[in-house]
Amino acid sequence: MIKRLIGLVTVVFGVLLVTFLLIHLVPGDPVEVMLGESASSADRVVLRAELGLNQPMIIQFGHYLQRLAHADFGLSIHSKTPIIELVKTRYPATLKLAFVSLLIGLGVGLPMGIFAALKAGKWQDLMVSLVSVRLSAMPAFWLGPMLMLIFAVWLGWLPVSGMEANTSIVLPALTLGLGLSAILTRMTRTSLLEVLNDDYIRTARAKGLSESHVIIHHALRAALLPIITIVGLQMGSLLAGTVITETIFSWDGIGRLLVESIEKRDYPVTQACVLLVALSYVLVNLFTDMLYQLADPRVKLVYAV
Amino acid sequence: MKMFNVFTAFCCTVLLMAVSSCRQSETTRPNNREIIFAVSQAPLNLDPRYATDAASARVNRLLYQSLVDFDAQSKPTASLASWQEISPRLYSFTLNKNRAPFHCADKSKWALISAYDVKATYDSFAFLKDSPHAAEFDNIKNIRVKDDNTVQFELKTADSHFAAKLIIGILPAALIAQHHDFSHDPVGSGSLSLVSWQHQLSLVRERDGQKISLQEVKDPTVRVLKLLHGEVDLLQGELPVELVQYLQTKPEVIVKTNIGANFSYLGLNMQDSVLKQLKVRQALAYAIDRNVMMQKVMVANTRAAGAILPPEHYTNQYSLPIYPYKPALARQLLLEAGVKLPLKLVYKTSTDAQRVRFATIMQAQMQPAGIQLEIRSLDWGTFFEDIKQGNFQLYGLTWVGIKTPEIYEKALGSNSMPPKGFNRGRYLDAQLDQYLLNDNWQAATARINSQLPYIPLWYEGQFAVMRKQIHHFSAKPDGNWDDLATISRYAH
Repeated sequence: MIKRLIGLVTVVFGVLLVTFLLIHLVPGDPVEVMLGESASSADRVVLRAELGLNQPMIIQFGHYLQRLAHADFGLSIHSKTPIIELVKTRYPATLKLAFVSLLIGLGVGLPMGIFAALKAGKWQDLMVSLVSVRLSAMPAFWLGPMLMLIFAVWLGWLPVSGMEANTSIVLPALTLGLGLSAILTRMTRTSLLEVLNDDYIRTARAKGLSESHVIIHHALRAALLPIITIVGLQMGSLLAGTVITETIFSWDGIGRLLVESIEKRDYPVTQACVLLVALSYVLVNLFTDMLYQLADPRVKLVYAV
Repeated sequence: MKMFNVFTAFCCTVLLMAVSSCRQSETTRPNNREIIFAVSQAPLNLDPRYATDAASARVNRLLYQSLVDFDAQSKPTASLASWQEISPRLYSFTLNKNRAPFHCADKSKWALISAYDVKATYDSFAFLKDSPHAAEFDNIKNIRVKDDNTVQFELKTADSHFAAKLIIGILPAALIAQHHDFSHDPVGSGSLSLVSWQHQLSLVRERDGQKISLQEVKDPTVRVLKLLHGEVDLLQGELPVELVQYLQTKPEVIVKTNIGANFSYLGLNMQDSVLKQLKVRQALAYAIDRNVMMQKVMVANTRAAGAILPPEHYTNQYSLPIYPYKPALARQLLLEAGVKLPLKLVYKTSTDAQRVRFATIMQAQMQPAGIQLEIRSLDWGTFFEDIKQGNFQLYGLTWVGIKTPEIYEKALGSNSMPPKGFNRGRYLDAQLDQYLLNDNWQAATARINSQLPYIPLWYEGQFAVMRKQIHHFSAKPDGNWDDLATISRYAH
């Protein structure tokens, strides 16, 4: 565990360093953005010094780490808002969207995958495969507006976008969740088919266990590892903010904040967002590993060796 | 079979959840009276001393009052105060007697704007080193308050355009002294005041309590869907022409168009060995079919442009020639200039879909003239940095909200090279400098039109689309939102 924690800190530090270097290398200067083109050279020099941008990069990075150690992300260059406040309002929105999307993905993908595996080779399997292939081929920028058109404009059931109503989350979560469910359907079907003909499943059936018991307690548990891997990876990207979906649905999440900050060369906001995204990925990865151990104790044994 | 039943039950649950949400959709708008305005970009900063983006500038015009405004011909006119030029370096401003007070939560504490507030607002630029507007007021030597209603500005050097610069909203002196955060909690004396600023910017009109909210909806298709669904009441500009034409067929909305005053142009790098030749620049001007583009991919009321400032501007009492589309002539001019065809040029633009579309059309139009355009669409930060650094051959941009003829000096004067000004093409012309020095706008614009340091394109038409119940709002030539001060909803 200690090894993993050290690895976690190393990854986060690496991300911070790379982000810091990259963002200072891309064209664009926050002083120019703040003062505009008509500012005098003297004013530019003063502001550059005030922001510490006149110092060597290594010193700037040191100061940045020092501030981070005190949980001080600084102020947004554009809105002058404390970045911690921006993150506090944006990240919960992303978390909420990610979890609801995951629920939809699991709720649709797992049963469909199991159903397809049980009906393998029959017309029902073909139908499920067709649906999942179609869903995975629909990009969010197309599926989102289509869902809006059907459920909001034509049927009038849900709001088009925004975050004001309780039901506002349904369409963006469906947009993300349906895509995820397509992947999970395919993965569940394949994994399940691999174990359904194994000896221990035949033994379980021969013992007279009900089909649902055999599927859920024996086959599915064995088929769970690749599914957990996919869910972990997908959850990581959902927590990183899904820029297109957040933009289409005017969902004020971390992904939109990150892209906007890059466009405006708002360095401190970009760095804070990237740090958060990196932390999310690393923590989800850690959590996924823990789930592996729960699903299959042999994974734990490998670590012990 | 059992598994199939579980699956069927799940599908039914999802469907029921969707159906049950039907009733809730009607409650998405919290207040029936509220007018919701969908914008592509929400304001970033409500402190007029810092705001530079168009949305903030447009909202700040409604939250605050400024000393000076502009009339339809863009001449500076008295707004909060009338003025007198006592000498070329001394201006006196007298505040109107019937001016509005500053708005604050406790109405009993509402105070009239005084000369002290004016002085505090403009004095504050001296210590706001991170204000993008500070440089505009560097020329102020001192500000003297003569009495509650009169304030005098003494300048370091004479500036005949000084009055036109005093368009910053006036802030209360007491709050400036307390370093109040105007960027998030504006206190002004304009027709609107702030209610809250969470997911959307909620404002209230002081005279009748009408609530108006600005909601950021980035995607143009989504803005249209929200308007059709009735989630928003109004939107203005920034839609592709196809969506505008589609909305014109919808009975539940009204589309209002107006002429525009924002100048779109093709910028040229005058230090480029090919582009510094006049014949090459003329060839480029003749290789663009503005009329076809205006008819096919732009909204009604778009006009071909001859100069930065539009024909109705007070400095433009004469017409400038518009370059027609003559690809054969363009090709001939290139050959006369000794250019080996095809002439390969790199055109930089932003990633905005409409700008990329213009670029691809121009690419096709220029081909018969022997010009091979390579399009590079870059994210805004990189694109604009390249322009300022002179790292380009051609680029496309638009001047937005330009009112004073000073723009000619700032954009084309020999002393206005970046970082001192906006002469991004690095154009040097002693003759033009002389005209500008003498405020000879007719000669200056004629010179620019003939020398082509940029290729004028058009003034894009403005439009606003609103639900049928919305009245008293129209699109303005510079795209401002001033009609939010008068907008109203009628029950149909």
